[in-house]
Amino acid sequence: MSQEPVETTFTEPGADEDVMVEVRDLRTYYGGDSMFGGPPVKAVDGVSFDIKRGETLGLVGESGCGKTTLGRTLVQLESATGGEVLFDGTDVTELSGKQLKQWRRNSQIVFQDPDSSLNDRMTVGEIVREPLDVHDVGTPRERRQQVRELLDTVGLQREHYYRYPHQFSGGQRQRIGIARTLTLEPDFIVLDEPVSALDVSVQAEVINLLEDLQEEFGLTYLFIAHDLSVVRHICDRVAVMYLGNIMELGPTEELFADPANPYTHSLLSAIPEPDPTSDSDRITLYGTPPNPRHPPSGCPFSTRCPVRIRPDEFAHLDDELWTAINTLREVLRERERADRTTTDRIRELLGRESRFGTIDGIYEEVFGDVTVPPEVEEPLDEAADHVRAGDEASALEVLFEAFGAVCEAEAPDYYTVGDTDRESFCHRHGDEYRSPAEVLDERHG
Amino acid sequence: MSYDYDDDRTLRERIEANPRPALVWLAGLAVLLALELGRVARAIVYIGSLTRGFLGGAAGVPGTVADNVAGSLGGAAGIVGAAITALLLLAVAAVLIKWLFVPVSLVNRLGLDTGEGRDEIIERGLITVALAVVAALVVFTPVGAALEAAIGWLTDALESAGTIQTLTQRDTIPNQGYRTPGGGWEGTFLGLSPAVAWAIRVFVIYAYSFVVAAWLWKGYEVFREHYREADWTPRDDSINRFRTHYWGIFGLAMVFAFVVMAIFAPSLGPVTAEANLYSPYEYEFQYLEGGELQTVTQGDANLASRSQGGSDNVGPLSYDQYDRWHPAGTNQDGKDLFTFLMYGARTSLVIGLTSIGLATAIASALSMITAYYKGLVDVLTVVASDTIISIPAFLLILLLNVLFAEADHPIMDIYNGGFLLALILAGVYWPGLWRSIRGPSLQVASEEWVDAAKSYGQSPGMTMRKHMSPYILTYIMIYASLMLGAVIIVTAALSFLGLGISPPTPEWGRAVSEGRQYISGSSWHISTIPGIMIVFVVTGFNALGDGIRDAIDPESEAGDASADAAATGGGA
Repeated sequence: MSQEPVETTFTEPGADEDVMVEVRDLRTYYGGDSMFGGPPVKAVDGVSFDIKRGETLGLVGESGCGKTTLGRTLVQLESATGGEVLFDGTDVTELSGKQLKQWRRNSQIVFQDPDSSLNDRMTVGEIVREPLDVHDVGTPRERRQQVRELLDTVGLQREHYYRYPHQFSGGQRQRIGIARTLTLEPDFIVLDEPVSALDVSVQAEVINLLEDLQEEFGLTYLFIAHDLSVVRHICDRVAVMYLGNIMELGPTEELFADPANPYTHSLLSAIPEPDPTSDSDRITLYGTPPNPRHPPSGCPFSTRCPVRIRPDEFAHLDDELWTAINTLREVLRERERADRTTTDRIRELLGRESRFGTIDGIYEEVFGDVTVPPEVEEPLDEAADHVRAGDEASALEVLFEAFGAVCEAEAPDYYTVGDTDRESFCHRHGDEYRSPAEVLDERHG
Repeated sequence: MSYDYDDDRTLRERIEANPRPALVWLAGLAVLLALELGRVARAIVYIGSLTRGFLGGAAGVPGTVADNVAGSLGGAAGIVGAAITALLLLAVAAVLIKWLFVPVSLVNRLGLDTGEGRDEIIERGLITVALAVVAALVVFTPVGAALEAAIGWLTDALESAGTIQTLTQRDTIPNQGYRTPGGGWEGTFLGLSPAVAWAIRVFVIYAYSFVVAAWLWKGYEVFREHYREADWTPRDDSINRFRTHYWGIFGLAMVFAFVVMAIFAPSLGPVTAEANLYSPYEYEFQYLEGGELQTVTQGDANLASRSQGGSDNVGPLSYDQYDRWHPAGTNQDGKDLFTFLMYGARTSLVIGLTSIGLATAIASALSMITAYYKGLVDVLTVVASDTIISIPAFLLILLLNVLFAEADHPIMDIYNGGFLLALILAGVYWPGLWRSIRGPSLQVASEEWVDAAKSYGQSPGMTMRKHMSPYILTYIMIYASLMLGAVIIVTAALSFLGLGISPPTPEWGRAVSEGRQYISGSSWHISTIPGIMIVFVVTGFNALGDGIRDAIDPESEAGDASADAAATGGGA
């Protein structure tokens, strides 16, 4: 990297306000438009953020949280269900035809799997040249020349022009993919887990290449990843995503050093600690992420949150019992959604055991080895009666009345936390509640 | 780097830099073509006349419209109608020309960018105008007459070239002659016996075909070694795998033998079809009887050389009483079975290629469209194909064939019902083909490179052509070669039932059918030889399909269950 002062303009304080992409309440749903499809899969469910010119914004989250869909929507590979994506003030979700084609020159995507993103039947030259052919840039000879220079730029050799993707290693293939995205000289590139399919030794090379290219061409990146250490290395700011929502967004170092959102806490605690004597406690999340077809009401993380707000009258219950209650509610929610077949109904009518199991069996399994105080027993029994009557919805209602709190009742706001303009999506940042970190310390020691 | 400059050359420049291998190859090709100059010239004249007929028909449409409209609405309306029709025709032609011959965007080149997505229309408009100018020049100015004269001169030249004797022509190595009283032969090649002369001709034809095929292959190797930019392509591996796939090579050999039969049918038979099969009473020949030369028509001779079992029999590899050589004997009408078989190969091949070509085109286009867009168009195609598949194929073919035949539809006259049969077969078999390649096409449509193409603005049509079709076409080649065997069997089966290709157009299935009552007697050959040929050709196409599959997809050899299931699912 060069040390010339010109190169540092991207980090000047004044450039901070130069917003390139504004995403406003973006939603991308799959399915749901057909008559029989049921409710749509809410892959991206109302996210808003800005990407500043020249920065690298990281997007992290576990598999299936919608980060790839968000990236694909930004480059218009998926059409948004609602909301806006403003590129320099233009809403690109409204573009079509020729305007869309023109706009596509400005934003490109690098795919995760270098095996699948390059057409095996074309030479490297043809692959990298195709965007130029599509947009009819220059003469064929100029295009070939430009492709050769690009191959040089991404660390391949010019004579690789007539080779086939088969003949390259994974890292080299990803370089070809990167060269292809650069042909149209875009301003903005979505990197969809660009190194997760590569060997660790090659990952660093590709990451360094991406950083060099950013410097050289003044690119803006949206870096999607689930490898947090890579994110920490390359990103200026990070957005943490869970179930289609952004949970926390802020400058990388601050977010990693002092996470605000409970989900960020648990995500960061999953980074393996190389020091065996370290006493850092891993926060284990119970259950699996909810079905994005049926996201929970209120906060998306409410079903698994380790610091969920509890009603005051039950504040004294121990964590084990809370875990059991949560499990019960999860089971009932699943039962409510599951389709009963005719056989199931007949078995239930005849009093036989269906594949759903009886409520007594469930209670036995869930509450078997915890002591249940009488004030808790009462709503549980009421819920059990509803379940016996085949009415899981009422049972869930009863449980919500008894054990629910603001987390499940309403979606939180984005609170500004920390010294910089970091935002976190959690009720606990409100003045009336204790902060997530404090509660986490208490509950998980 | 000087290397750069060297590497960035077009094929022409690369050949100019090292012309020797290309020139040697071209010289060889020229020699081979010169041996068959007459045949090549006749083929060009024939294709030219077909094109001319088609263009003439299209050019006549505005005139027809003008006449019709003028008849009801008056002369001025007729002219307007003719102009509109002509413009419409030119617009259609413009779309085709733009698609086939104009790779660059004229709008961008000419700077006519309007930015409102009207580019395509403007582009087609430009080409239409250009075509209209050319058409007007041809029709209304002396340019037309000059063009006509030039074409006429060219046709004359080609036609006179067409009379040049070629290596594989019958006259070069004649086998039709008569015995001389002295014991020799008159009129045959070098006075050899008709059997030997015929055998030499067959050998020469196959040798020539083989040399041509080998030389074309050699051309590919020359290109690969000296002129191709890439020193390795995925195709090289496929070819290497095919080279060691002996079952596939056996199939290729069978198919090659069959195709040569179809192409050289007039030269391969000991007698022409015209003389022996179609108009036997218009062709006479001489033979020696009791020391005297006699003249008899082919028809009369046929009557006396029928194979109907018992003593009435002219078996394979024998002469009849008129000293005519019958390599495969005669049929129940006394016609030469070998000639019949050679022309029958032509019939089968034409029907097979036409129907499978059409079915393949429909199936691959639909498979790409449905895999790319999915949704409603996919559902509609599934419904349509399931509807067709749900009717037993053979029954449907029979039904349609009888329907058109009873209605005496004019389409029945083309190729004695062969063309109709090809259309029916294409209509019945495309759903099967489409189904067989549906999996691969859905798979390729979900590859990230298709997304990548979309992300930089590639049009759906080009994406299908560039990024999907290469994968689908290799698969469809396998199924098409398997299905070609099925088509040959169905055609034969129809003829066996007395439907499909009507006499006198030769068809193998009819020979099997007509000879079956003699199968237990001395005239067993009438059914048996065509039957065996059907078996060999169909096996050959299947073996070729297997070979291509294994060559393209190395994993299928290792017993990959899914690939095997996919490849065998598309048979008859």
